[in-house]
Amino acid sequence: MKPAAITTLLACALPLLAQAQMSEGISPKQLEFFEKEVRPVLVEHCYKCHSKDGDKIKGGLLLDTRIGSRSGGDTGPAVVPHDLDESLLYVAVTYEDSSLEMPPKYKLKDSEVAVLKQWIEMGAPDPREAAKDDNSPQNYTNTIGIEEGRNHWSYQVPTKPATAIAENNDWARNSIDVLIQAGHAENELTPAPDADHRTLLRRLSFDLTGLPPASDEVEAFVTAYEADPDKAVSEAVDTFLNSPQFGERFGRRWMDVARYAESAGKEINAAFPHAWRYRDYVIDSYNSDKPFDEFITEQLAGDLLEPADEFDKAENLVATGFLAIGTKGLNEISNRQFRFDLVDEQIDTTTQAFLATTVACARCHDHKSDAIPMSDYYAMAGIFLSSETLYGTQRALQNRKETELVHLPSVIDGGENRSLGEMIDLEFRRQSAMEQVQELTAASAQARRDGDAEEATRIRQQILGVNSRIGALDRALGNYDDTGKAHALAMGVRDREEPFDSQVLIRGEEDNPTDERIPRGFIQVIKTHDEEPIASDESGRLQMAHWITSPENPLTARVYANRVWSWLFGEGIVTSVDNFGMTGEAPSHPDLLDYLAVRLHENDWSTKELVREIVTSRTYRMSSDYREDYFEKDPYNSYLWRANKRRLDAESIRDATLAVSGELNLERPVGSAVSEQGDGLIGRGNFPQAVLSRESDSRSVYLPIVRGVIPESLALFDFADPSLIAGKRDVTTVPSQALYMMNSEFVLKSASAMADHLVNDLELKGAPLAREAFYRCYSRPPTADEGEKTYNYVLNFIKAAQESGHSRGEARLMALTTFCQSLIASAEFRYLN
Amino acid sequence: MNALPTNHPSRRSVLQAGTAGFGYLAFSALSTMEARAAANPLAPKDPHFAPKAKRVVFLAMQGGPSHVDTFDYKPQLNADDGKSTGRNFSKLLGSPWKFSQHGESGLHISELFPHVAGHADDLCLINSMHTDLPNHPQATTQMHTGNFQFVRPSLGAWTLYGLGTGNDSLPGFVTLSPPNGAQNYGSAFLPAIYQGTPIGGTGRNRFTRQQNPEPVKNIKNPRLSKDLQRLQLDYIKSLNSGKLARDEFHPEVEGIIESYELAFRMQDEIPEVMDIGSEPEHIRSLYGLDENATSSFGRQCLGARRLLESGVRFVQLSSGGWDHHRNLRDALSNSCAGIDKPIAGLLEDLKQRDMLKDTLVIWAGEFGRTPHGQSTNGRDHNNKGYTVWMAGGGVKGGQRYGSTDEHGGQAVVDKVHIHDWHATILHLLGLDHTKLTYRYAGRDFRLTDVHGEVAQGVIA
Repeated sequence: MKPAAITTLLACALPLLAQAQMSEGISPKQLEFFEKEVRPVLVEHCYKCHSKDGDKIKGGLLLDTRIGSRSGGDTGPAVVPHDLDESLLYVAVTYEDSSLEMPPKYKLKDSEVAVLKQWIEMGAPDPREAAKDDNSPQNYTNTIGIEEGRNHWSYQVPTKPATAIAENNDWARNSIDVLIQAGHAENELTPAPDADHRTLLRRLSFDLTGLPPASDEVEAFVTAYEADPDKAVSEAVDTFLNSPQFGERFGRRWMDVARYAESAGKEINAAFPHAWRYRDYVIDSYNSDKPFDEFITEQLAGDLLEPADEFDKAENLVATGFLAIGTKGLNEISNRQFRFDLVDEQIDTTTQAFLATTVACARCHDHKSDAIPMSDYYAMAGIFLSSETLYGTQRALQNRKETELVHLPSVIDGGENRSLGEMIDLEFRRQSAMEQVQELTAASAQARRDGDAEEATRIRQQILGVNSRIGALDRALGNYDDTGKAHALAMGVRDREEPFDSQVLIRGEEDNPTDERIPRGFIQVIKTHDEEPIASDESGRLQMAHWITSPENPLTARVYANRVWSWLFGEGIVTSVDNFGMTGEAPSHPDLLDYLAVRLHENDWSTKELVREIVTSRTYRMSSDYREDYFEKDPYNSYLWRANKRRLDAESIRDATLAVSGELNLERPVGSAVSEQGDGLIGRGNFPQAVLSRESDSRSVYLPIVRGVIPESLALFDFADPSLIAGKRDVTTVPSQALYMMNSEFVLKSASAMADHLVNDLELKGAPLAREAFYRCYSRPPTADEGEKTYNYVLNFIKAAQESGHSRGEARLMALTTFCQSLIASAEFRYLN
Repeated sequence: MNALPTNHPSRRSVLQAGTAGFGYLAFSALSTMEARAAANPLAPKDPHFAPKAKRVVFLAMQGGPSHVDTFDYKPQLNADDGKSTGRNFSKLLGSPWKFSQHGESGLHISELFPHVAGHADDLCLINSMHTDLPNHPQATTQMHTGNFQFVRPSLGAWTLYGLGTGNDSLPGFVTLSPPNGAQNYGSAFLPAIYQGTPIGGTGRNRFTRQQNPEPVKNIKNPRLSKDLQRLQLDYIKSLNSGKLARDEFHPEVEGIIESYELAFRMQDEIPEVMDIGSEPEHIRSLYGLDENATSSFGRQCLGARRLLESGVRFVQLSSGGWDHHRNLRDALSNSCAGIDKPIAGLLEDLKQRDMLKDTLVIWAGEFGRTPHGQSTNGRDHNNKGYTVWMAGGGVKGGQRYGSTDEHGGQAVVDKVHIHDWHATILHLLGLDHTKLTYRYAGRDFRLTDVHGEVAQGVIA
């Protein structure tokens, strides 16, 4: 829905704007004409239907403001300076066009028509300001009325439905089940039987930790489940929720929504070497079960919170990286354009991530399907324009947009320090580069004086090169204090010293600002009664966070509960997880969605409580057994008559491969492959492809996520494009995945390690070896048929390999290795039942 | 309506027989077409009637190229340059580029496409296109799948489903530079083997510069001979077939089974097909491989020809960055310069190999741009009227089909909606869009839903 964006204005561009306003000013004579002649006509004949205070705003047209007159209503602009034919106001009052006659019940006097004619011909000078008497700017073009828009289901505050479990109900375990059962009953479906214990544990383990259960965990669970299923499930869930892998799993899910990446993307793909701190912050927040409302507030306004201590302060600052890690067109020439693009990205991400609302559509025009006027967009734009985004990057030939970074409190380790000698060396190199620039500049001037333009150009190229070097040295020096102690740095935001309201840009064009400034504020259609006023010296980010997390906000809890649901079922109750607007899908179970939203509030926004309630339901525990009649009735399983068969996401496939091979390293690495390299441009210098595709034995969440250069193991299995908010991933099945499983170095290496581990560490062979391998890969023992086929395969392979010249030892090892690889490559390895 | 897919036991027996392992066949919609497809879902199938085109190359321009500056000649727009349009402050913006007539047909083409203009007599400019929404994601998805609301099979997937392919050692539908969003080359409910296989591209990040296609990865096993690998793949297949039997109905697992078979065969074929280095110098320069501006798209075009020549049914390639809201003069020039020579080279090369007559070449963006300017150097999205063109395979060249109003704002004469366009493409391939159906969950689906009319005037 996002119109490719066009435009802008900026803090440093304020003087320009002031100028523009003055040039729009009108002469005293014109003012007198307007006040004496024009305004009375408009007030007397037009305002009744076409003003903010009128009875109603007809045709979406407001004639009581300049902007309203100029932008016009449903049929077009009312007033086009100097152009009578295009000015619908004039056309209407002349009664020349029978389809457009205004006022509708009588024709103006000729003298009044003449006044309007004269006014338009002189350029329609208009001193009127926008209505500014309250904090909710007029929906002056009125595409969709705000009040009308509020009728949409997702803007109604959720209410808790009745969910008592009837006495004769022996299926339902909790309220979720009751609500799912209602859908079954309505559609004449019955729930699938429970999944068997092994399938269930595998499902829980991948869903909550992104890893397969270990063989002995499976065995233990089977025993416990046979004794008491509910208790076994509840205990397993607690174990998973309390493991550090939970945060890695759910954190990674959130990072899809937060479009996490470690580079700027777009044309000049500059590295973000400090982005990983936000990654760790997200993971830690999930592990500590930080209330989701706090999580939101920290990400939008952590810098404005009162911290408990220095560690808390650091955490709050790092959280605001959420607003800084988006894509950036660093080679944009216009500062104004760049600034508005950056703000647009922040509005888009914030409103989609937390509210599943596509506000960015209203940058250039009123939202086409939701009740979001352009003025709402610019109300939010003011908040972000009044904030400064600190994303770093290194000044270079095509990057003139570098910024400072956030300095974290000194309790945070900044990494390796430098010796005083190294610092002096850096400073010396910087000095000499600066001198070199001076010399070159002089030489270039001399060459120009000598009339040698070619030489002057050549020297100027040299200067650009040296300047890039200075950029790199500046950044290197900025990472340390004078003694060489490394600063702990992060990406984030801070308030500007002088916050200001944004102008509306016509069609979002930077060179087309109106002089109407929209007071900083929120999206009117999502109204809460506890909205806080934004003081003139504040950006409004904190108030925005409070508006989003308000218990009255109808969207936030629903949107998040729906995300969590989709992470556990493969589909949301609303399948368009990032869009709850008119063009989004309606919920399959509105009551259930409301129930979960209310529960989120009741449980102080605890993610873990929400997850626990969902995964201990009978609904979650269903098997994925197929039924043809039900499939015909409900092919997408919208009513959950069974569990969805789901392919694992890319991270789980890779992590599981490492896990079964015994090679997985569960320690969290410090930083990432990007932070190790520091600043630079992706694909050049210190960032060759090899650095980013280097294999690691860490969990996938710690792999370098660079825009445009996603590690192959993730990209092939539909990793989310980190340039966009992606609440949902694709699932493809293509031969390149098969080739990866058959031939890639990573899979071959893992298979070898697995075989080696089984044979040498666990000292297994024969049937017990096969059994352990199946357990690792499928969380179950082989069937008799599989056992037999495996036995035959190994024998045949050894024989064939020997026949083609391999020694018996080699052949045996190859057979075992290819057996392990086959399990990893097979469908069951990557599908949850 | 076709017979209902119900006979699961025979599907199992096919699997147990262990022949080709293409399990879905026995139970997917048993139209006559599929029944003829025998054991291999990629095997060539007979079309509904004699086809004019046997293969397709789809040049997708992402971002919405301006039609009034390229292929929709609007002298009145230039005459009215600067006039107000009656819409919010906007003024008509005459094209900064000159149009002139080319070929015997005298087709008007702008100076942005000097090389393509050399093939004017082969081009059918459809000037009267329109689509439902002026937003990139929806319009892109509608262009590729006909539907922007639901996930539906893409044009390439339908084509492959309808016709199979001439070389079952290659994917029948290849995308050399996949568009954003896998559904744009996906198979949705059609069997997974029909989805587009991304080859050689650098992923789908629209923000990153296209790099030269890498050689195909993971194409050879460093440890195993082909015979030994075949043994291994048979074992993997037995594991997967076992799962499929247990799951009863699981199209994705069938897709995995098929993808291993195809991947195994691809190992021999793909490296050779994708070895652009083996092309002689004059061919490489025909596609502009020796020039910076054109080498990236030129490689795609040359790769496409090699794939088509090897029997691939549908090749999709793309060029990004056509969203010229501002900086129209420089940016549109650059965009056009990047593809002009490569496309002309492709047309020329197909012709000299006598392949153009049955290869359908399609050039299209998701929509066009407004005749009025955005500021004075850009244009906004326009879904109400725009231009695509087709050449080769049964297309009547050297003509403008349909037209927009005098400024190029809206299609007015012989309007062609996306559904009509899809119907026309299928028609050229010998497929009746109303008969090319797939039964899913009790309903027959079509590429054109319940719409679509063949634009007869496009056809030679």
